[in-house]
Amino acid sequence: MTSAAAGIRTSLALVSGTHRTVPLELRERLAFSAEQAATALAAFRERFPGLEGVLLSTCNRVELYAAAENEALAPQPDELVAFLAECRGLDASLLSGVLAQQADEAVVRHLFSVAAGLDSMVLGEPQILGQVKTAWSLGRAIGTSGPLTGGMFQAALRTAKRVATETSIARERTSIPSVAVADFAAGVFERFDDKRILLVGAGKMAAETLRYLRAAGARDVTIVNRTVSRAVELAARLGARPGSFAELAAELVAADLVVSTTGATEPVVPLSLYERIERQREGRPLVVLDLAVPRDFDPAIGARPGVWLYSVDDLAAACDTNRQSRTREMPAALAIVEEETLRFMTDMHHRTTAPIIEQLKAGWSETGEAELERLFRRLPDLAVSERAEIRQAFERYAAKLLHPPLVSLRSESQSGPPHGLLDALKRLFQLGE
Amino acid sequence: MTEFLSGISIVCFAASYAVALGCEASRLVFRSGVRGIVMVGFAAAGLFAHTLFLGWRAVNDSTVPLSSPFDWYLLAAWLLAAGYLWLALANPRTPVGLFLLPVVLALVGAAALASRQPFLQSPASQAWARIHGSFNLVFSVSVSLGAVAGAMWLIQAGRLARKQPPLVGFRMPSLERLTAVTHRALGIAAWTAVAGFVSGIVLNAVKLPESVPWSDPVVLRMGLVVAWLVMADGVAIAMRRRPAGDRVAAWLSVVSLAVLAGSLALGLFAPSRHGMPSAPAAREEPHAVEASP
Repeated sequence: MTSAAAGIRTSLALVSGTHRTVPLELRERLAFSAEQAATALAAFRERFPGLEGVLLSTCNRVELYAAAENEALAPQPDELVAFLAECRGLDASLLSGVLAQQADEAVVRHLFSVAAGLDSMVLGEPQILGQVKTAWSLGRAIGTSGPLTGGMFQAALRTAKRVATETSIARERTSIPSVAVADFAAGVFERFDDKRILLVGAGKMAAETLRYLRAAGARDVTIVNRTVSRAVELAARLGARPGSFAELAAELVAADLVVSTTGATEPVVPLSLYERIERQREGRPLVVLDLAVPRDFDPAIGARPGVWLYSVDDLAAACDTNRQSRTREMPAALAIVEEETLRFMTDMHHRTTAPIIEQLKAGWSETGEAELERLFRRLPDLAVSERAEIRQAFERYAAKLLHPPLVSLRSESQSGPPHGLLDALKRLFQLGE
Repeated sequence: MTEFLSGISIVCFAASYAVALGCEASRLVFRSGVRGIVMVGFAAAGLFAHTLFLGWRAVNDSTVPLSSPFDWYLLAAWLLAAGYLWLALANPRTPVGLFLLPVVLALVGAAALASRQPFLQSPASQAWARIHGSFNLVFSVSVSLGAVAGAMWLIQAGRLARKQPPLVGFRMPSLERLTAVTHRALGIAAWTAVAGFVSGIVLNAVKLPESVPWSDPVVLRMGLVVAWLVMADGVAIAMRRRPAGDRVAAWLSVVSLAVLAGSLALGLFAPSRHGMPSAPAAREEPHAVEASP
């Protein structure tokens, strides 16, 4: 985090409050709904004419990006903090201590990291990319996002895509239900639309796991619970079929995948019960996701052939492994962010040279035209094709003369706006402001 | 053009397949956005050169095309390489080449050691020799595919039993899919092996009186391979409805390839009358036909 000192004028500024710096209670008060964000951006347009702005508000962060094409209009971070406080009816002094203020290159680097999920609570989570896109779209719709923030957000999306494809930071799953379904159940079964799913118990994790199973194609779902009314209610809510707990053995015979989340203190399925039904299953594999604590399935069942039994601890260990894999990818992801930041900043700095280059080209072109006219008057017998040849030679000569200074400007832009070179060009070629 | 085609050697496509295999192996070491393109590119280039090589031999063979042990191995390798390319395009995230390409390279290597002399047959026995060779080719390819699926099943099952998440870039197909491939490949291999053996017996009868003796090493070895495959398929079917049935089928598939490879390896070095000309027919009008080594 870098704090912009008061009075520093920059063309890019950011004030941000994230899960790292702002307590949850304050984050809740600071958060913007979609409608509130639209209203805030409309107010931003009125309050800061000539500035571009994008407001990103998620459950873990509120960030206001501001940019000015003209450094004279550069946004002041303190004013942005005051604006946010005003929008949410908060005291600005409450926010100024907790909101991070960044400027220029740090803003770009931060946005790229956020879009790639590197600043998220769950490292590499992909949802943030959609939220960044939505924030940018809203800015465009309200008319507060212009070429500068547009270019920056476009580059952020490109960076996020590169991080996602060139590293595995977003590949590894880190929630227990997603790991259970994608890394284990899908390793056993090719498809789920022809499988029978059995939910034993009505724990919260069962509903979450079922969401992933549904996404994978599961259709035939039965829910059994000791309290029948609870099973019926849950089945209606989840679009499943209620079953009888008394028929658990029969349900286990028919099931291909079991998600168990009861609150029982003793195993609901002891080894003896499984041994009784094993033969009736006719060798079909059985995946058991035992998400209950204490466990619902006797661990010895996992040693039976054709049974793939996973407890909460097994799945949590797999999640940890995946988290470590994500962390190992962090340096590669940061290198991409750094590379893209440099690229964007170089382009941005280079944009400032455009008016001078245009002037230079126009001046040379004017001089060249005058010289050509003079030459053609002295050589009136030249054929049209010969005149064209001479004109082309002049143009090539001018382009070749202009090439080295352009390369130097581009190179100088990598380390900041090339003010020195631009001043030198202005003085050497007597160019106007 | 002729010079170009005649310049293609087995080293050309073996090297392409080896590079594709290296790319597959690199999945375990690092991630790359262009690896898939390079991998498929080399495999496709290898298959193209392989096809041209076989085509050139078929066109320029003075006898019946592709009828030597050398050609038989290369045809088997070509079928597996084509299968690999298709699987790599259809399932780019599955490292199937890590299992299939070594078999392809082994077959190309076996071809390099095998005789380039065509199996000489009389016109009367040509049709049966062709049938015999084709069945043997199909069962060998089926055994190879089944073994690859079986090996992948065992690795995937090991990972699931150890409760480890899949490695990045090394995502295996599901056990359900691998089981289906294993069973199908074992079944096809067993029945085409039987058909190949029976057609061999008929071929031997057609070639009488100077036929291959029953005690010939090739006949004995292939008889054992056929018996093993029939037994393996029978066991796999019998175990299908048992909890350990899928694992047994996977092991049987892997062992089947070992049995077949052992038999073919012995065939490269052991003397045999298999595929030798039957004297009267050969004297009248020698022809070469497709047959197995």
